[in-house]
Amino acid sequence: MVVCLAVIRNWLRSRSGLLYSFLFPVILLLILGSIYGNPGSPSKAIGQSTAIYFLPGLTAAFIMANGVIGLTNVGSELKRNGTLRRLAATPLTKLEWLLGNVLSQTVLAFVLAALMLILGAVLYNVSVLINAYFLVMLFLGVLLFYGVGMSLAGLVKDPGAASGLSNFIAFPMMLLSGTFWPVSSMPSYLQTVARVLPLTYFADGLRNSMVSADFSGALTDLAVVAVFAMVLVVLGARFTQWNES
Amino acid sequence: MKRYDGVAALDGVSFDVQKGEVFAILGPDGAGKTTTIEILECTRPPTAGSVKVLGQSVAGSQWPNEIKRRIGVLPQEFCSLGRLTVAESLEFFAAMYDAHVDAMSLLDLLEIRDMAKVRFADLSGGLRQRLGFAVALVNDPELVLLDEPTTGQDLETRRAMRKVIGDLRARGKTIVLTTHSVAEAEQLADRTGILNRGKIVALGTPAELLDKFGGGKTVVFRSGGDAVFGTLRRFFDTVSMDGSDVVLPFDRLRDLEVALTALVGRGLEVEVVLRSSTLQDVFLKLTGSGMSDTGEAN
Repeated sequence: MVVCLAVIRNWLRSRSGLLYSFLFPVILLLILGSIYGNPGSPSKAIGQSTAIYFLPGLTAAFIMANGVIGLTNVGSELKRNGTLRRLAATPLTKLEWLLGNVLSQTVLAFVLAALMLILGAVLYNVSVLINAYFLVMLFLGVLLFYGVGMSLAGLVKDPGAASGLSNFIAFPMMLLSGTFWPVSSMPSYLQTVARVLPLTYFADGLRNSMVSADFSGALTDLAVVAVFAMVLVVLGARFTQWNES
Repeated sequence: MKRYDGVAALDGVSFDVQKGEVFAILGPDGAGKTTTIEILECTRPPTAGSVKVLGQSVAGSQWPNEIKRRIGVLPQEFCSLGRLTVAESLEFFAAMYDAHVDAMSLLDLLEIRDMAKVRFADLSGGLRQRLGFAVALVNDPELVLLDEPTTGQDLETRRAMRKVIGDLRARGKTIVLTTHSVAEAEQLADRTGILNRGKIVALGTPAELLDKFGGGKTVVFRSGGDAVFGTLRRFFDTVSMDGSDVVLPFDRLRDLEVALTALVGRGLEVEVVLRSSTLQDVFLKLTGSGMSDTGEAN
């Protein structure tokens, strides 16, 4: 809990962190709402309430970005400047450090999701279902992208290179995973790429659980995200340097 | 023994520190001082050999946390979460321990109470290091490990930290510190181990080290500068610069004769002072490192 509170406090005092975690998704929501809310807009091609479509997608995309870009940057900097090594010299264990970070990321993700849902309801009259599938999917998504961020921070020595690599991974994934438009509207070779990206299943799972109430579809997405999360969290923990083994 | 990729960083290092003692590990850059401290703080295991801290082995995986509860650590460059304030940083680290001392009294001790609400990222290097020292004491440790605590710090920070080390010593705390300042080791430590290229080359009190290794005399060529240094360097590996002075420890009169003949031969006239060897001379003799103006090895 101490780690969680300290990490959240540190994060919330970062202007760039706040901008990236909360303001940027809201601005994108407003922009997309304006574009797709316009009569004769591409919304007709999507064939459904577009706000309902991109609300879960945007939420998923920014939880991904917070994990992949945000955590990679923070994690690699803490490793470079010796903070992790200093913490390792206290009785705090690596597991406690990792759990504290997962908890802080979960809190931030739920705040982001709540913000997006409230704005969706107020601005676009979107009503969504809050159910166990949605909550578990949100948590697994946090775990998954936390694992990616920790792995990159642990594997890449230079913080600048880690930051570049995280952006290189996050932005194409955001565009190719059905966040802004349906995967089915993309060329078949890009659909093939989308099918191996974890964000595709995370966004789809949120959509299935909170919008279309397709719980069998949500369960499939949940299983895929859970497997990705398990593998990546193990890798993230493995690559986080604590005591030299 | 500690190896990195097959290269020995520490080889056959052996020393013990008594309860209540201040022990300095003195050595030039790259000697293995930080590696030694990191092994003692249980964050880097030795490749071979046995290490006991507070009576417990650091190699046994079940022990380190018990050791970590009882030690305090100041790394060369202390760092914390950048947007936490000084007080918050101290409380953050204090929360890692079952028992801890009052945070504000530590800020008073390190003379940084007026910085309590300043964020870590906004502190100067010296203030960060003072906070790091406060963090090292937050659990009222039995053993304090300080890795080059004053290196590169401003005069005020050096003074404040040396004062705290003196206070800790008076309270009977055991301290192991590393330094490349001979003056610091001489001023702060009861005993000093000189570490060079991963080996302890001498160990003892300043008086013992002088007795054992400082048998000769030292000749100082006042304001000799590069010309005198360059001339003598061709004959003596142990010659060094101390500011603009050139310092040459010697055991035999014949060495002095060689030095003076070389200088006269080059037409160099310089004031010559003879004095007894100091701990700096011993250090120089054992490590071959030169000294800066502040008595730090380079």
